[in-house]
Order: sequence, then C-alpha cells, then structure tokens
Amino acid sequence: MTSRILSPLVLGLLLIFLIGPFFIIIAASLSAGDTLAFPPQGLSLRWVFKVFTIDSFRDSFAMSMLLAVGGTLAALVLGIPAAYALSRYKLPGAETIRTIVSLPIIVPGIIVGLALLRYLVVPFGFNITLALFFAHTALVLPYAVRVVSASLNNLRSDIEEAAVLLGSSRSGAFFRVVMPNIRGGILAAFILGFVTSFNQVPVSLFLSGPGVRTLPIDMLGYMETTYDPSIAALSALLAFLSIGIVFLAERFLGFSRYV
Amino acid sequence: MFQNRTEALALALPAALFAALVFLLPVVILLSEGFHIDGSWTLSAYTGFFSQSLNRTVFLRTFKLGLEVTAVSAVIGYAAAFAIVNLPPKGKGRMIGLVTLPLMISPVARTYAWIVILGRTGIVNQAIQGLGLSDSPLRLLFTETAVFIGLLQLFLPLMILSLISALENMPKDAIPAARVLGANWFQVFWKVILPLTREGLVVGGTLVFTGSLTAYITPAVLGGSKVLMLETLLYQQVSVANDFVAASVIAFMLIVMSFAANILLKRLATARNKR
Amino acid sequence: MSDTYLQLDKLTLAYGDTVAVKDLDLSIKKGELVALLGPSGCGKTTTMRSIAGLLNPASGRITLDGADITRVSANKRNVGLVFQSYALFPHLTVYENVAFGLRLKGISGQDLDARVTAGIKSVGLASFAARKPGELSGGQQQRVALARSMVMEPKVLLLDEPLSNLDARLRLEMRAELQRVQKETGVTMIFVTHDQIEALALADRIVVMLDGGIEQIGTPEEIYNKPVSAFVADFVGFENVFALENGKLATSNSLVELSAPVPQAAKGLAWRPRMVILGSGPFQGTVRGTSFAGNVREYLLDTPLGPIKAEVDAGEPSHTIGSTLAFDLPLGAAAPLSRYR
Repeated sequence: MTSRILSPLVLGLLLIFLIGPFFIIIAASLSAGDTLAFPPQGLSLRWVFKVFTIDSFRDSFAMSMLLAVGGTLAALVLGIPAAYALSRYKLPGAETIRTIVSLPIIVPGIIVGLALLRYLVVPFGFNITLALFFAHTALVLPYAVRVVSASLNNLRSDIEEAAVLLGSSRSGAFFRVVMPNIRGGILAAFILGFVTSFNQVPVSLFLSGPGVRTLPIDMLGYMETTYDPSIAALSALLAFLSIGIVFLAERFLGFSRYV
Repeated sequence: MFQNRTEALALALPAALFAALVFLLPVVILLSEGFHIDGSWTLSAYTGFFSQSLNRTVFLRTFKLGLEVTAVSAVIGYAAAFAIVNLPPKGKGRMIGLVTLPLMISPVARTYAWIVILGRTGIVNQAIQGLGLSDSPLRLLFTETAVFIGLLQLFLPLMILSLISALENMPKDAIPAARVLGANWFQVFWKVILPLTREGLVVGGTLVFTGSLTAYITPAVLGGSKVLMLETLLYQQVSVANDFVAASVIAFMLIVMSFAANILLKRLATARNKR
Repeated sequence: MSDTYLQLDKLTLAYGDTVAVKDLDLSIKKGELVALLGPSGCGKTTTMRSIAGLLNPASGRITLDGADITRVSANKRNVGLVFQSYALFPHLTVYENVAFGLRLKGISGQDLDARVTAGIKSVGLASFAARKPGELSGGQQQRVALARSMVMEPKVLLLDEPLSNLDARLRLEMRAELQRVQKETGVTMIFVTHDQIEALALADRIVVMLDGGIEQIGTPEEIYNKPVSAFVADFVGFENVFALENGKLATSNSLVELSAPVPQAAKGLAWRPRMVILGSGPFQGTVRGTSFAGNVREYLLDTPLGPIKAEVDAGEPSHTIGSTLAFDLPLGAAAPLSRYR
C-alpha cells in the first residue's frame, strides 16, 4: 500500500522538522568561527567553553536552579497535603479548591509576573527574588497536586486504617505507610516541576532586575545584542540537561507512568 | 477515618490560600485597572485600545496566526498520528518519545534554532542563493511566516499526542469496516476517523490555539517589534510605554481566551467520562 | 450480663446525613465467635468499623472490657482488624508487616524477633518472612494479615468477609485456621459476612442484620431452625415463606385454609423445599421447572399459593415440566415466624 512509502516519509519529515533544528544548534555551537552560522566554519569547542566563563550566565544559571529546586520543593510542601485532602476526604468545596490550585496553568504567566511586580514589588519594595520564588512555586503547584493526587488515588486507603489500628497515629501512618508508596509520584512531580520552572520565561519577564535574572531571560537579553554562537552552545547544553533528566527519570522511575 | 472536615480543610487550605494570594489576587487587581479609570467603572480603556489601528492589527494577527497554526497542525497531526499509531509497539514507543522530547527543551533553545535556519546567512538563504533563486538574502526573520513556523514547531507535538490518544481509543475495526463497504480514503477520513476522533482534535486544537495566543518567546525572538503579538505587545506597553491600562486590557483578553479554552476542555473531559 | 466483654448500647451510626445503623444493642461475651450476617447495606460492616474506631458514633456507647471506648481513638483501642483486602503494607516484607504494630509499641530486639517469628510460624508462613505482599497468593496474604493482628494480642479480633474471596478449598482451610486461632488464644472474634453458610459453620452466635438493625440473634441451630421473621427465614434457605392472616395463609390474591390449626402466636409460616410433599395433598400445582442437583432433584411449581420450591431425593420418580400434581405443606414441618417483617 501507499502507506509503506508515505508513512516513513511523513514520519521522517516530521522528525526533521521537530528535532532537526536541535541538531543544527548543536552543529552551530561547535563552530570555530566568530559568528552564528550553519554549516559551521570549522569545528571547535571554544564557544561551549566560553559559555561557562560568562559571569552573567553563571549567575542566572544559579538563580534558575535555585528557583527550580526551591520553588518545586515549596510547591510539594503545599501540594502534598492538599492532594491528600482532596483524594482521601469528602472535602466541602473540593472543586473550588482544585480550580484555584490549577489557576497557574490557565492564567498566562506574563500577567502574573506583571501583577506581582506592580502590586508587591514596586509599592512595598518586596524583594524581587522572593517574588520570583513565590511566582515559581505557584507555577509548579498545579503539577504537584495533580501528579501526587493521581498516585494517592492509586493507593488503597485501607492500609492507613490498618496502620492506625496497629497503634500508629494518623500522621505516623502517613509517613510510614503512605509516603513510601507514593515516592515515585512525588519524584515524578519534582522532575516535572523542575523542568517547568527552569524553562519558564513569561513569569520571570517582569520580575528581573540587577543581579536578578533567570537563565532564559538572560539568554534573551544576550541574543538581542550579540550574534555569536554562545547562545547556541548554551541552548544545546540546556537541551541536553533537560533530555538527560527526563531520560534518567524514565529509566529509573518509569516517569511516563506518572504524567 | 476520613470524616473530619476540619482536618481536610486544614490540609488543603495552605495551598489554596497561597495560590489565591500570590496568583489570584494580584491578577484580579490588575484586571480591575482596565475597567476602573479615574475612579469610575468604564469600558473606555477597551474602546480606546481598539481605536488604535496598531492594536487592532496585533489582535487580529494573533488570532489569525493562532487559527493558522491550529489548522496546519491538525492536518500534519492527523497524518503523523495515523502513521505512528500503525507502527509496531517498539517503534511506536520510540516515535512517541521523540515527539515528546522537544516539549522538554527550553522554548528559548527551540526558537533560537530558527534564527540559524532563517537568518540572513542561514541555511534557507544559503540554499536559495546557492540554487540561484535570488541574488540577495531574503528577509525571512521578523516576518509572520517565521513566527508561524516557530509556533508550529513548538505546539505540533501537543496536537500529535492528543490525536494519537484519540486514534488509539477509536474502535479498531471501524476503518476496515468502512473500506469493505466501499469507502475511499478521503471518505474514510471524513466520515469515520474525524467524527470518532473529534474530541482529541478539540483537545489538541484548544491546547495549540491557546498556546499560540499566549506565546511570548517565539513572537519575541522571531517576530521582534515588527511582528507584534498580544504578549509581546503587552511587554512593550509596560516596559516602553508604561501604559498599565493597556496592559490590563490585553491581560484581560488573554485570560478570557485561556479560560474559555479550559472550560471547553473540562466539559469535554466530563462528557467523555460520563459515557 | 456480668460476663459481657463487648457491649454496644443504642449505637447509631451515620455517614453524613445517611443513617446506616440505628439504636443497635448488642452484648458479646469474652471468647465468643460471633458472626454479623446480612445482605449488603444492612449495616454489618459499619458496625464493625465503629467497634474498631474507624467511625465515630452519632450517638450511643461502646464498652470493651469494662471501659467506655466510644471516644477512644482507633490506635488506642487494641482492637485487631483483618481487612477484606488484607491491607498489607506493599513496601514492607512479611516480617516487617507483622512487626509493624509491635515496633510502634516500642518492642525491639530479641523480644520483637521472637514474637514476630512465632506469629509468622503460627500461620504456617515461616519460609515467607522475607517476601513482599506482592509475591504472595491471596490466601497467604490473608494469613499474614491475621498474624499481623494477632501478635498484638488484641482484645477483639474483627474480620471483614474473611472467606468471601477464597475458593472452596482455601475456604475450608481458612475456616479451620480461624477456629484454631480462636481455640488456642481464646480471643473474642467478630466477623462480618453475607454468606449464611460461613456464619453457620463458624459462629458460636449469629447476629442477623437488616436495614441498620438486628433481625435476630441466636446460635446457628436457632437461626437455622427457628427463624423469627420472613427475612431471616428466606436468608437461611426457607424458600416457601408466607404471612398468616386470621390463621390462614396469605397469598397474593386470597387466604388459604390449612388442614390443621396454626400456632397461636405465629404471624407467618415457612417451609424448606425439603419439607414439601409431592404427589399427595390438598393443593394442586404445575411443574414449571426442574433441575438435577446430584443427590436431590429440585422442582419449581406454579400453584394458587404462588411459586413453590420443592426438593426430593434423586431416586424418587421424576415429574416432567408441565405436569400437574398434588402437593402438601405439612404443618408439622413448618417453622412458625413470630413476625412477618
């Protein structure tokens, strides 16, 4: 049938379209030349090394890491109890709570960054980094609640009752019996939250200042003035980082099961 | 053991309150700025906004691109999803992984690649000049086409994944049954595949459309200030013009569109679960 | 009663606005094996959960070993519960599952090891100590759940439908196991079931429940031979149950006189299929269906009294479908019901 030729053709073109650009970036970043070009003029790792020497990249990378890890942890601290309450109890207003917690997925991030800047940072002199931290936590919260909820729904509640009857307190039962069995879900939520926060741009757009910048924002700024392959190198490195994390997650966790 | 409502509320409220205070409250206040000018409630900000032709252009352009990206991604999506669904299990898993992969990479990186490809000294221009189709490099960046391509690449995986899910939930024998009854492939698509995968199409379409409407990076990098879209316009209004009222107007429109899309998605999800 | 160990007084249990059990009174002696028997929704599981402390009563009192435990939290009651799903901790080994409650009590070291090993051994799973629940069969999981509860030396052991999920052979084994545990430890046992055969086989006393209340309490013999109501009669296998009005059988459209006077206080009469006499008698019926069940043959008759189910030895001459025959419901073989509803 025609699908024998058509199918591989479609899929081949699709992959070239979706992933081809990624390889182009890698190639461009290995260029020995001074400007961004493909095919690269000679091969060299100098731009890859250059990336690590640019101070602002190092600082903004650290900031992005801090926000991603801290924000996701905070989102889990808030989200795990909420997921537990939603999954185990008949909560009055459960739907409302679910909606409120899911809002960050629905409201475009740029608006939140702007609102926080205007009503928190500017009028009260609120620390920008803290505002960024809050924004990133709120951003990851819906994912934390959703993924952990799914894990909890798959775990029978009678093992908690069994633990209590054997003498455990409620909170003891949660830590001894529930947590070990939703560990995979929590880890998956962490990875998902980390990647989401790290790659996030719109929320962080307005919440930037001297010394306070996330890596993607920093890259955008750099791109406006300089046309050398360092951004390509950095993009490639970041892409490898994301892919690496997800690959390991899938390998050791079966990540895709949780999302 | 799970009867105590106070306990439940105590566990859930911190998250809800946090989201409400950090997210909901500031946004609501921002939106009110678009309706409350000089002490009175009025729609003058909105009429004022649309009275400027630049704003109208941006609004229409954002919508138009959104629809175009959605339509094209639907066509490509069906072809790709159909091809993937018919692969043997191992190949199918790998393909799905490869399609999902781009979603994990930073949008900045994904968009940046197009600069390399579409730039003055980029591949496309090199090819065009090399083939003798033009003497000087074409301006491909900072055009609507560039933004279109960027958005398409960004959101196509979402459409494909959605359609794969829909195709897998279709009764397996529906297509052979139609063929046996004499339908050609066009009719099979129109009368069998499309109606049965309609929900997946709407889910994918909503994700792609909303994503395109509320995109920032791609329009910023590939469109710049020549091809403004709603979010890049919003950024400009705040950082350059200091016009927060206009920003509020744009924000409101973005939120309404996003909400509408989400309500639609929720309705579809519950309708599917009821069956 | 002075030897009452567990007492439920006017217990009312509700889920939100729905009342599941109303004004329940029940006394259980130490060392008794009691069955709560009834159809789903009758309140038996709800009652069991309230004894465990998993559900707070809306009103009423629960007293155990002389102490009022109504408001005592579930983790302090020393009541054991074997869940219908066994509820083993999937992330812990058999050993750790059984050790769980003991560790919480602060028991450790050699003392812990001795008790846990003895517990696992007593249910015959000594070589499975290092396995995880996922690697065990259903029957084995249940025995671990039993050991886990028993090592705590509970005051009362509750079991939720302990035999329902088992195949015939495992059922017999588990029955023997439960009886052994009871005999060796003398623990007061309450189990919940919808299966009358289970109840009749295991229990010292059966509490038949319906719609949130108790229909009848009695020994298996009493329940089986002397049901007090139409529901209980039907539940234990009296398939021909009738109300009595003015000393006559009340059928759907008439009152039927019987050959002899009925007992004074009876509000209903019930016959087991075995007690129906086929071939002679004052009544006429048509055979609508028949089935061969090994050593007996069953018949379903259409009669003016309504459908009648009869059972005769397989050796007797059989009646074909459609044939009419005479039958009798001998008064001497009837169980008198003190109430119909």
